Amino acid sequence: MSAPASPGAPASPGAPEPLPASPVFVDPVRPADAVDLSADGIVVEGLRRSFGGVHAVRAMTFHAKPGRVTGLIGPNGAGKTTLLLMLASLLAPDAGAIRVAGADPVRDPRAVRRAMGWMPDVLGTWRTLSPRQILVTVGRLHGLPERRARERADELIAQARLEELATRPSRVLSRGQQQRLGLARALVHHPRVLLLDEPAAGLDPTSRVELRELLRGFAAAGGTVLISSHDLSELDEIAQDAVFVDRGEVVGGERLVLARQAAREWRVRALDPRALSYQLASIGVAFDRVRLEGDVALIALDREEHAADLLQRLVAAGVPIVHFAPAVGDIERTYLGLAGGRR
Amino acid sequence: MSQTTTLPPREPAPVPAPPRGLGAWLRMLGVVVRLELAQRVRSVAWYVLLVVVGLVVGGVIVVLFLSLSGYQRDLGGAIFSTTIFLVMLVTSLVTPALSGNAVNGDRDGGTLAATQVTQVTAAQLVLGKVLGAWIASLGFLAVCAPFMLGSALLGGLRIEAVAIAIPVVVVEIGVVSAIGVGLSGLIRRPVLSTVVTYLVVAFFSVGTLIGFGVATIAFQSEETYNEVTWDWDEETDETTCRVTDRTFDTTVPRPDRVWPLLAANPYVILADAVPPHFDASGYPDDLLGQIAIGVRYAQLEPVQEECPEVLPYGAWQGETAEEVYERTVPSWFVGLAIHLALAALAVWGAIAAVRAPARTLAAGSRIA
Repeated sequence: MSAPASPGAPASPGAPEPLPASPVFVDPVRPADAVDLSADGIVVEGLRRSFGGVHAVRAMTFHAKPGRVTGLIGPNGAGKTTLLLMLASLLAPDAGAIRVAGADPVRDPRAVRRAMGWMPDVLGTWRTLSPRQILVTVGRLHGLPERRARERADELIAQARLEELATRPSRVLSRGQQQRLGLARALVHHPRVLLLDEPAAGLDPTSRVELRELLRGFAAAGGTVLISSHDLSELDEIAQDAVFVDRGEVVGGERLVLARQAAREWRVRALDPRALSYQLASIGVAFDRVRLEGDVALIALDREEHAADLLQRLVAAGVPIVHFAPAVGDIERTYLGLAGGRR
Repeated sequence: MSQTTTLPPREPAPVPAPPRGLGAWLRMLGVVVRLELAQRVRSVAWYVLLVVVGLVVGGVIVVLFLSLSGYQRDLGGAIFSTTIFLVMLVTSLVTPALSGNAVNGDRDGGTLAATQVTQVTAAQLVLGKVLGAWIASLGFLAVCAPFMLGSALLGGLRIEAVAIAIPVVVVEIGVVSAIGVGLSGLIRRPVLSTVVTYLVVAFFSVGTLIGFGVATIAFQSEETYNEVTWDWDEETDETTCRVTDRTFDTTVPRPDRVWPLLAANPYVILADAVPPHFDASGYPDDLLGQIAIGVRYAQLEPVQEECPEVLPYGAWQGETAEEVYERTVPSWFVGLAIHLALAALAVWGAIAAVRAPARTLAAGSRIA
């Protein structure tokens, strides 16, 4: 969707040298195999897993740091779910090393399970049990004494706003309510690391805001969050770091830099659309970089500096701008840049 | 997820390891058992099923009582042995359904992984499921308990029959539960593992009988016997038996060579485990004893027909059932050991299959 990058058509001649990339990504130019296995959070090094002839995960190396929300992004079949299953101590890797909160899920899965809360994409619930029974049982299975498990269940039911349904069989819950119960289940034992697979699927807008706040608070308190999602704008809001995976591999530094350099569309709206298009032409923005959709102009720009420069010029020319913002977020832009690179 | 408290206070240090030791281990097992019972059993349909089974067994017992009461006086033993066989029959039909999808059903429902990521071990998970299915099936023994109590009131019920038969039935139900749960861990599809569990039960209950019948003929032997003739003396009007020198060849079935097949039959195990009670003519007086003596007769080698001893008053003196019972060997513990070994093997296999992180996966299986 990004416009072809015609190199000789910058919107602003003499733009300053590009600043370091915005802090959205794990340092993209760091060599992919340099991670410290003794670090806290989630550390993955040279991970590989195949099912018969299918290489679900070929070579994954990354570090999701404590205190941050890390997005896990990639197309279907990129190996995200397989990776999460290995992190959740359910699947053994063929090769490579994993540390979750310092513990190795292959050698000491119980230590990983103490520290890790996991919310799978397809949530299995005991359909005849009530949310309260489920949370108490899971707490007991995590080794909490009966009384503490009950207290914790009540706490989480209030947090997930499931009070009215707390004693009904969980099969009556809607998809969004199931998701909230699933998140509560992942939090029962006060984990330090959260693994979330599409946690926002089926959530209403209020619940999405709450989820976002919860994850931010969780990270702010020193927790590590790895969140896999296809909702890229949602991830843009919530994630400070991102790990891009494609065909079983973490997308390495160079490809990421290239993808991020792909032109990005900015959405511009003015009170006077005609003045806007006139000034865009007179400023010298190449016509193949401008796309008009009704009152809105979508302009492909290579750098943020170019955007700042363009805005300044438009305002100086007296165009009554009311909206000037990237049409897509950072993560989405990179993702689409990567997808474009594959084609 | 509420607006005001975004996050509950978290411990800065890692959550301490749960307490170790046998007590903690058993408590965790108890949590799994309760989860199993709550998930699979506690429903209206379940109680309806229990009541239906109670009514059917009760009906059979009442009819049996009414028809037998004209012939026999102390009916307690007969009523009890019939009840216990019915319980065995009913549980062998229900337990596979309860246990045969315990692990792979949870796998399909995505709830197995939810328990695997907790502190519960694979052994606790599988044993908890076995216990859950076992306890649920024992409900059928419980609803039939009133009929057993009733048989005690009728008189003639021997305490040792009760004290042995009930534990054997309880263990056999446990064996079926364990095999069902074990197979559900080893076979990916719930329907298939349930069917295979039924087939295993059928193999032991019916298959051993068929196998015994077929093998008896297959292992038949050629024997050479002397002919026996009866001479009638016209003058004295007496018949005398005489073994001649003439011989003949004949083929005889050899149950004595294949009878151990019956040892693995659960009904035979139950019958053989309870010491029989013989009536005045040396014949067992209840169903358990009659089955047991049948198996004992199968152990006898074929014998050359001989002239029977004729007692002074003209009756023939053969061996009584009691005498046969005395000189043949019991087999119930062998059968029970086979069952327990198979159950242990199945449970062990399921524990290995449930252990996570998993190295190998059955084709097409899902983890979560």
